[in-house]
Amino acid sequence: MVKREEFQRVDAYVWELPRDFDSRMLVPARIYGSEALFRAAFDDRSIEQLVNVAMLPGIVKYAMAMPDMHQGYGFPIGGVAAFDADTGIVSPGGVGYDINCGVRMLASQIDEEEIRPHLNDLATILYRNCPSGVGEGGAVRLSYGELDRVLEEGARWAKAQGYATEDDLERTESGGRMPRANPSAVPDRAKQRGLPQLGSLGSGNHFLEIDIVDAIYEAEAAAAFGLREGQVVVQIHCGSRGLGHEVCSQYLRMLQDAPRRYGFEIPDRELVSAPYDSVEGRDYVAAMAAAANYAFANRQVLAHFVRLSFEEVLAGKVSNWHLQQVYDVTHNMAKVEDHVVDGKRRTLIVHRKGATRSFPAGHPELTEVYRSTGQPVLVPGSMGTASYVLVGTESSMALTFGSSCHGAGRTMSRHAATRRARGEQVRSELHEQGITVRAQSMRGLAEEAPFAYKDVSEVVDSVAGVGIARKVARVHPVAVIKG
Amino acid sequence: MQGLIMGRWKEIPHTADLALHVWGSDLLDLFATAARAMMSFVAVPAQQGGELRARVQLEALDTETLLVDWLGELLFLLERERAVFVTYDFDRVTPHALSADLTGRPVGTYLANIKAVTYHNLAVVQTEEGYETEVVFDV
Repeated sequence: MVKREEFQRVDAYVWELPRDFDSRMLVPARIYGSEALFRAAFDDRSIEQLVNVAMLPGIVKYAMAMPDMHQGYGFPIGGVAAFDADTGIVSPGGVGYDINCGVRMLASQIDEEEIRPHLNDLATILYRNCPSGVGEGGAVRLSYGELDRVLEEGARWAKAQGYATEDDLERTESGGRMPRANPSAVPDRAKQRGLPQLGSLGSGNHFLEIDIVDAIYEAEAAAAFGLREGQVVVQIHCGSRGLGHEVCSQYLRMLQDAPRRYGFEIPDRELVSAPYDSVEGRDYVAAMAAAANYAFANRQVLAHFVRLSFEEVLAGKVSNWHLQQVYDVTHNMAKVEDHVVDGKRRTLIVHRKGATRSFPAGHPELTEVYRSTGQPVLVPGSMGTASYVLVGTESSMALTFGSSCHGAGRTMSRHAATRRARGEQVRSELHEQGITVRAQSMRGLAEEAPFAYKDVSEVVDSVAGVGIARKVARVHPVAVIKG
Repeated sequence: MQGLIMGRWKEIPHTADLALHVWGSDLLDLFATAARAMMSFVAVPAQQGGELRARVQLEALDTETLLVDWLGELLFLLERERAVFVTYDFDRVTPHALSADLTGRPVGTYLANIKAVTYHNLAVVQTEEGYETEVVFDV
């Protein structure tokens, strides 16, 4: 068990566990966050999981946890770890089962008072047009051949089908298409699961939300992102569905004896890994990238159906129902990136498990659209609470390999949440706050109740305090669609 | 052989996911109990509708992987066939292989989605009373 006293306070928001805490650690472990969030990290087993990450071969600088950290499996959620491309590993458990789970934000030209009279209809139509919940198929049916094109081309496939504009792709991380994707590296069973699910939200913490911008912190960046106070925006949170889950499961299975074959030890079987520079490592990256492309296409198809829903309900009632994409970020991914480490440029495999990329202005990987501002970092809060739009900073490159938090972070188990409140009660409390809810499962609603999460504002203030992103805008929900 | 189900299980607190501690008098009992426990979280079988059957044959590197495969197979059948299998007639269970005939019903109500069965700290342990393990599911 790690004790608080074993950490050293590096500065107000940085806490470090030295390497000598455990002889198997190859680097120190770092937690970023306020003192309150740091103390809260000891309430579950997330620090133990972070220490395990520090033991993986080729890890560079630190095993890191963002302020929204909590217990996961293998890596903690909010975990960031970079591995040397020549000597390090790639770890399916460091990406997770929901490969490229992420968030997309669309901005309207509508103000709150214009949408209020239509919110109920809009929520109903969105719930109908954007399938959600356990066991639901997607809005699009694919053939095997077509699925392979999705896996290769991601959101670019969606553009060819009329589901996306070039502007959408510009405003998507990696242009909505991960390099190195190879459909033949995706196991057949993953494809079987992916065929009927494209264009679906899924369940759990996934959601679709209509929000109102209620605070602007940086006018210039907000204007560049197309955001202004009082404006209606939409957030979509989902990932690669069964296809991604199966890719992770199958590769974890295939790699179970890889540490033995490659001569390294792991502290937890969920952390099985292969050298990045190996057949298995490259195969996993090819499959992961393909699953990530499925997720990009999934959010793109859903964005299309959100736009159709806005048109169906609002055409003729408001002057402009168009939705422009702000950005689409991924928060479960391993990416090949160049970083400067101790003054030297190195190619690293950056694993972000429940963490968002946070690249600053001028980064060559950023789209032209955001090259001069830095990338938008979308941080959804818990259901019924605020969400934030941040912007990436230079400090994130120095401190966290260009990474930031991904959400509020859970603090209470699903079981405890359902014991504390029934779904009907949660729905009625949200209703009293002026939030329209459409949900397939009342139990699911209780599990995702706001009290089960950390305060997103405290998390975001910590992120800003560390300096790994700056606050640009805050939004609050007026309608929530959940599986 | 269905065996006498002696097994028991309990949920262990986990901040985000589902964790179960499962005990069985032998491997067969452990696998059956783990499966029933997991299925009780994901779906309720329909009262009506025909009986569904499936055959499962699995081989794995070790018992832990076999357990992950077994539970994963039931989740796959739930997703693809919309079938809730709750009766398992095993004709073979060894530390590396199992085969079983499954009987169940169509899904009546979905309760929750389990994304995957994880390997997180997974170890099937033999004790004086039989076998036990802790399984973490990604939900």
